Amino acid sequence: MEFLLNKKLKANIVSISISVVLTFLITIILLLILGKNPVVVLGTMFGEVFGSGYGLGQTLFKATPLIICGCGLAICFHASIFNIGAEGQLNAGSFVISLVAFYFSGLPFILLFPLCLLSGFIVSGVFGLIPAIIKIKKGVSEVISTIMLNFIILALVNYLLIDFFAVKSTVRTEKISESFMIPKFSEYFQMFQGSSLNLTFVFALLLALFTYYLIYKTSFGYKLRAVGFNETASKYMGIKNNKIILLAFFIGSGITSFVGINFIMGYKGYYELGFSNNLGFTAIAVALLAKNNPIGVIFSALLFGILDYGGLAVNNIVPKEIMFVIQGIVILSILSVDKLVEKYYG
Amino acid sequence: MNAIEFKYITKRFGDLTANYNVSFAVRKNSVHCLIGENGAGKSTLMKILFGIYKPDSGIIKINNVEKSFDSPLDAIKSNIGMLHQHFMLIEDFTILENVILGSEVTIKYKIDFEWSEKTLNNFNDKYNLGLNLEQKISEISISEQQKVEILKLLYRNSEILIFDEPTAVLSPVEVKEFYKIIEKFKDEGKTIILITHKLHEVKEIADRVTVLRRGEVVYETEKENLDINILSRKIVGDVILKNDISKETVMINQEDSVIKLSNITLRKNGHDILNKLNLSLHNGEIYGVCGVEGNGQSELVDLIFGLEKKFSGYLEKNTNKISLVPDDRLKKGMIKEFTIGENLILKDKNKLNITKKYLTGLTDEVINNFDVRVPENSVIMKLLSGGNQQKVIFAREIELNNDVLIFSHPTRGVDINATAFIHSKIIEQRNAGKAVLLISSDLDELLSLSDKFGVIYKGTLVKEFSSELENIQNETMKNKLLEKIGKLMIGISVE
Repeated sequence: MEFLLNKKLKANIVSISISVVLTFLITIILLLILGKNPVVVLGTMFGEVFGSGYGLGQTLFKATPLIICGCGLAICFHASIFNIGAEGQLNAGSFVISLVAFYFSGLPFILLFPLCLLSGFIVSGVFGLIPAIIKIKKGVSEVISTIMLNFIILALVNYLLIDFFAVKSTVRTEKISESFMIPKFSEYFQMFQGSSLNLTFVFALLLALFTYYLIYKTSFGYKLRAVGFNETASKYMGIKNNKIILLAFFIGSGITSFVGINFIMGYKGYYELGFSNNLGFTAIAVALLAKNNPIGVIFSALLFGILDYGGLAVNNIVPKEIMFVIQGIVILSILSVDKLVEKYYG
Repeated sequence: MNAIEFKYITKRFGDLTANYNVSFAVRKNSVHCLIGENGAGKSTLMKILFGIYKPDSGIIKINNVEKSFDSPLDAIKSNIGMLHQHFMLIEDFTILENVILGSEVTIKYKIDFEWSEKTLNNFNDKYNLGLNLEQKISEISISEQQKVEILKLLYRNSEILIFDEPTAVLSPVEVKEFYKIIEKFKDEGKTIILITHKLHEVKEIADRVTVLRRGEVVYETEKENLDINILSRKIVGDVILKNDISKETVMINQEDSVIKLSNITLRKNGHDILNKLNLSLHNGEIYGVCGVEGNGQSELVDLIFGLEKKFSGYLEKNTNKISLVPDDRLKKGMIKEFTIGENLILKDKNKLNITKKYLTGLTDEVINNFDVRVPENSVIMKLLSGGNQQKVIFAREIELNNDVLIFSHPTRGVDINATAFIHSKIIEQRNAGKAVLLISSDLDELLSLSDKFGVIYKGTLVKEFSSELENIQNETMKNKLLEKIGKLMIGISVE
């Protein structure tokens, strides 16, 4: 395993480095075509991201949900389940988290927090189980069922929110008690003044470590990877494939609900329609870029965080949409460089 | 005149030298056999000829002209065709669609199916392939799929044909048919290179033989001077074959069967895959099953192993501790992306011992006890040769210490040394009092290992032999028996 990891790790680091350099080159060319000075644009961007505590804080704040959601998806992807339904799953879970935090305002935080995690996890997880069961019983590809479920879940949340739970003439839930808000970094470190970065970031890092341990060190993770690599062989080995697939869907989807913690308890205090802003799809790219390694997910989420916040920072020079273009280039170059490096490293 | 000439071909992969200074010539209009152990460099050499790899040094001449291929496409343009060990067919396409894929003839952007069909049917008749072009690949047997691959080569006007272990998947009857096709090719003036492990095949069909060992040519001979004993010595080098374990009498009450199948019928898609099948396995006994592929063997295995549950009849299992070495090791027997150690613990109930130290120790043990040859302890399975992969699977299944062991085509695509080793392990298990079910298409293997022996045809064990196997040393008795079995396998009843 050591040999494999080392060689694979080496190959991965080489391919990711080449891709990042390649991306920068293409971006520079793109900026030149647009008639912008690449030095100014990139300089401003990195200056804003790394130059101030506020910028850094915002970048980490944007990376936090990507780490969380990326970890959940990594679990699914290891079992060869291409879950495209994170966007819906995480909205359902987050919505419930906001309700639990609001309606159980009598509880102490120490009880409420695990209750929020659990309820969000179960709701998102159950929505993950639906495509899993359809896949097992009827052989329907999860790509189709999860993508369609996104629409259903979002419509359902919409309906429940607007007809029952929303604050009048808004599209958000009631604000949760101030005492349930997760502390911001700025309370401890002066440098992060004004930024929304909160302790959920630490939670996300711990979650990534946990997910890494789950996938690579536990018996469940071992079976998960076996099923992902070769379902037929796993069946002959006495592994209960269906159970593994159900669990992977449940746990992976369940984890995506935790992004609600960052937004609701760490930032706004309520669930708001459209808060996720395609987070569930961006996280697919984050997980892929990291080759589904949860530790790698941290770094790829940071890269996406930089692009996200950096895009805002340079918005008055170039349209911030250019960052979407860069995100696309990153993924394309990773995918193409990967094959080459793999060939070289055997 | 030489169709192909290899001159000083050397190819290295990192530290491994796959071919070193390989030089030999293939006469036009002949059958040239290339033999050697797994990992001797046969496939690498053929991949170089076919343009998949580039040699580090050396040249190849085709019809006395030096050629260098950058891709298989170049090779195909030079009328070289290769039949790979693993078929490359699209299951949901018909035979016709599969054959013309990539070389369609079109009229105004529309595929000219009529012309294609006529052309292919010509080949079909000429070489007696007996294919129905409208059938889908998923509906036909392995030997028919092989014929489809051959049809592909013909359609592309291949003059030089490379076959990589073509008979490994064929039953004895089908092998005979295959020889006839090869003979026809020769009559047509084509040149054939045949990679094989089976020496009696070489004797029957080769015009010239080249033996590779550790990447080098060690022996070459013409048809006239061909001696199987010399060949096998040249193949393995100075290693002594370890086939020294013999059967011992096992003192166990053999009245009670461990597993008993009575009147088992299995229906799938309206066909009786197994049809009123009776079979019982006893301790200390090897039961061999032979038959043409696709007569219910794999379903029989799945049923005993417990993966096939929708059957009628009576299945009596006195144990659930069953080991299985499956027929398709890549698909069913291992996770090729995992290391040896990770593959060894695949059947552990709790799988909690996946610490690196434990796996390394386990792997070392198996490497020593089962003579697995690996570059590194922590290598992933994909990078091992077929014989070594099979040994790892063997190790896992035997170490489980189960009561029943099922071996399905245990030596398919495995070289002489590994075959001898695997055979000795199977006998060892029998001597230890285990019940063994052996399924194979290699009659020699079946006859030399089995205590009892059944022929399966259309899901029924049509005849069982046991006492006949005792006189197997007698050449005439053996031939008589073989003849009988051959008939039974294709559904002709004998008295």
